[in-house]
Amino acid sequence: MTQKKILIITTNHSSYPGADAVGQARMAYGANTYIIRVPDPVMFPEDFYLRAYEKGIAGIIIMSSGSDCPYEGAYERLSKRVARVYEQMRAKGIASNRLKLTTICTVCRAAFLKEISEMEKAVTAV
Amino acid sequence: MDEKVKEEASKDNYRQEPKVGVYVCHCGGNISDIIDVKAVAAALAKYPGVTVAREYAFMCSSNGQDLITEDIKTLGVNRTVVAACSPSLHELTFRGVLQRAGVNPYLHEHVNIREQASWVHKLDKAGATAKAIKLAQAGVEKVLRKDALNAIRVAAEQRVAVIGGGAAGMKAALAAAGKGLEAVILEKTPRLGGKLPELGKMYPSGEEGAAVAKKLEDLVLAEKKITVHTGAEIDFVSGFVGNFKINFKKPDGSSAQVKAGAIVMATGYEHYKPYKGEFGYGEDGTVLTLPAFTALMKKLPAGRLEYGGREIKSLTLIHCVGSRQVEGVHKPQADGKINDYCSRVCCTAALHAANQLKEKYPGVRVYDVYRDIRAYGMKHEEYYDKASKDGVLFMRHNELDQPVVVSDRTGHTVKVKDVLTWGEELEFKTDLLVLVTGMTPADISLIKSQLKLPSGADRFLQEVHPKLRPVELANSGIFVAGAAQYPMDSTEVMASAGTAAAKAAILLAEPDIPLEPFVAVVDEHKCTGCGLCPPECSYDGALMMGEHNGKKVAVVNPALCKGCGACVAVCPTRAINVAGWTLEQFDAMVDAIAKE
Repeated sequence: MTQKKILIITTNHSSYPGADAVGQARMAYGANTYIIRVPDPVMFPEDFYLRAYEKGIAGIIIMSSGSDCPYEGAYERLSKRVARVYEQMRAKGIASNRLKLTTICTVCRAAFLKEISEMEKAVTAV
Repeated sequence: MDEKVKEEASKDNYRQEPKVGVYVCHCGGNISDIIDVKAVAAALAKYPGVTVAREYAFMCSSNGQDLITEDIKTLGVNRTVVAACSPSLHELTFRGVLQRAGVNPYLHEHVNIREQASWVHKLDKAGATAKAIKLAQAGVEKVLRKDALNAIRVAAEQRVAVIGGGAAGMKAALAAAGKGLEAVILEKTPRLGGKLPELGKMYPSGEEGAAVAKKLEDLVLAEKKITVHTGAEIDFVSGFVGNFKINFKKPDGSSAQVKAGAIVMATGYEHYKPYKGEFGYGEDGTVLTLPAFTALMKKLPAGRLEYGGREIKSLTLIHCVGSRQVEGVHKPQADGKINDYCSRVCCTAALHAANQLKEKYPGVRVYDVYRDIRAYGMKHEEYYDKASKDGVLFMRHNELDQPVVVSDRTGHTVKVKDVLTWGEELEFKTDLLVLVTGMTPADISLIKSQLKLPSGADRFLQEVHPKLRPVELANSGIFVAGAAQYPMDSTEVMASAGTAAAKAAILLAEPDIPLEPFVAVVDEHKCTGCGLCPPECSYDGALMMGEHNGKKVAVVNPALCKGCGACVAVCPTRAINVAGWTLEQFDAMVDAIAKE
């Protein structure tokens, strides 16, 4: 059976250590999750996400640093960009719940698992 | 290796045909118990661009590192992927291996298959292995597209801010000053010393806590490199490694700020406060905590023990009050959690107190009711031996059969189901109850939330790794000293504080700190001079339009660029990227992950 892969974009400062904290606590989630880390997801243009879906990624969770983002104005720019990605997803008939922008801190273990659990439900329909 | 050599090595690596070495770590069994590391290495050995793929018990060990060095020398490996623990632990280790072998350290990719694979997919070994293969392949794709880079150095404040002026804070400040650093102690209470002055005779030296506190305070006040702010109420902490800012209010209400390159969290602990009715606490004046009893014993004359106007002929110590609590047995704390951790130091403290009591008041009968005795420190077992020889009567209960105390006007009746007498239900009268209370973390919620400091399930601050990165918090440039980390005695506090200060001194040994060279770079051949990127940049002067070779192009000032990548997303020709984190790399990683 084809695995429904979830791409998780994390930040060096915040959500990547948050994902590590989940591991350190030996909490469990599905192995269909692939975490990549970036300084900030604001660097990705709209077509990065659309290309990922075309390639076969079922769901994408952007785990940003939110208001704790060390980069000035980056979160606001990211939010606006993600809104444009949603518009383009709609135009292409890609379900909007396959993309989620959220905030995960270095110690947000429960929130990390909740986001994965919700995306797992969203991608079952893909 | 000097800068010039490093620069030459970088250029050579950049020009060479990429040869990737992939190294899969077992991490003892941490990874290999779940992930089939041989299968991962075998899959990667066949992957395009990979020259060699190996698996090894501990890649971070010197033998593991030697494997990479040897492959660089003999096989010409010039880029590496190490699939192991989190990059926060060992990315720098492996960059160092490359650098020492003459390869640019940034031609390395660290793939996390422990915290983000084996530790979270224990019930899905096949899935974890498949995921590890995909992640390692994505790592290969990324490293194949990496450029040689050189570190950027940023100016750092040559000062360490020590939050907390107890034993740990004073020791950390003294140790930092001893290394030539300026240290600023920010203490919220009106005096230095923390809880030391409350302690009576301290083991193992027998010195009075107040005397030790005074000695430390005198040294601190005499040290010109140390500034002390008592009564300092911290209201805002911000910044990053090398450039932290701590705003606080002085006792007179005025505001002040300390700038520091590093922070030492020496925020200490609180004594567990029993709830009203816990073994009669708060209902009867003859139920005390051990700290309260120690303070009392200091004041009372020797010979005849009197308390509350009556002679105390018998005294009972009850251990593990507020520690090693059991779900369903003990009342939860305010946050709904129980204190299931062991406070470690209270057993020895109780034995030490019992011995002092027997010395001062030999006629008093002493009962010691415990679950386990953890006399873990050097020679601490001798306190147990002495107490036994001096007639302290020990009774041991199991975790579910907690001792029961019934109090009336004649004193307290203690009932214990004693494991030492094969479960016999013992009952005895006692005049004074002393609850051996544990330690809880101090309330530092404001600082924790502002700096996002990590804490463990026990709510104490959590270091990155007990062996590899002790006293370092995940937040770069912030260290923990003393009982802010976990319950520890004063000898351990001193060692921990010295370590924290030494790490801060190493970090600030030079006036600038090497930072990752991950700033925006412009490919002038691709740049069309459209001008879309500068408005995206939030940092004045970091990205502007300029002219080069007669062509209008975007120009980055690497000293001002923070490397966020906001400019990257808007470039229609992908001419601008963050060095080390390019869109081309991420597209290739996604391809590798998505591929069936």
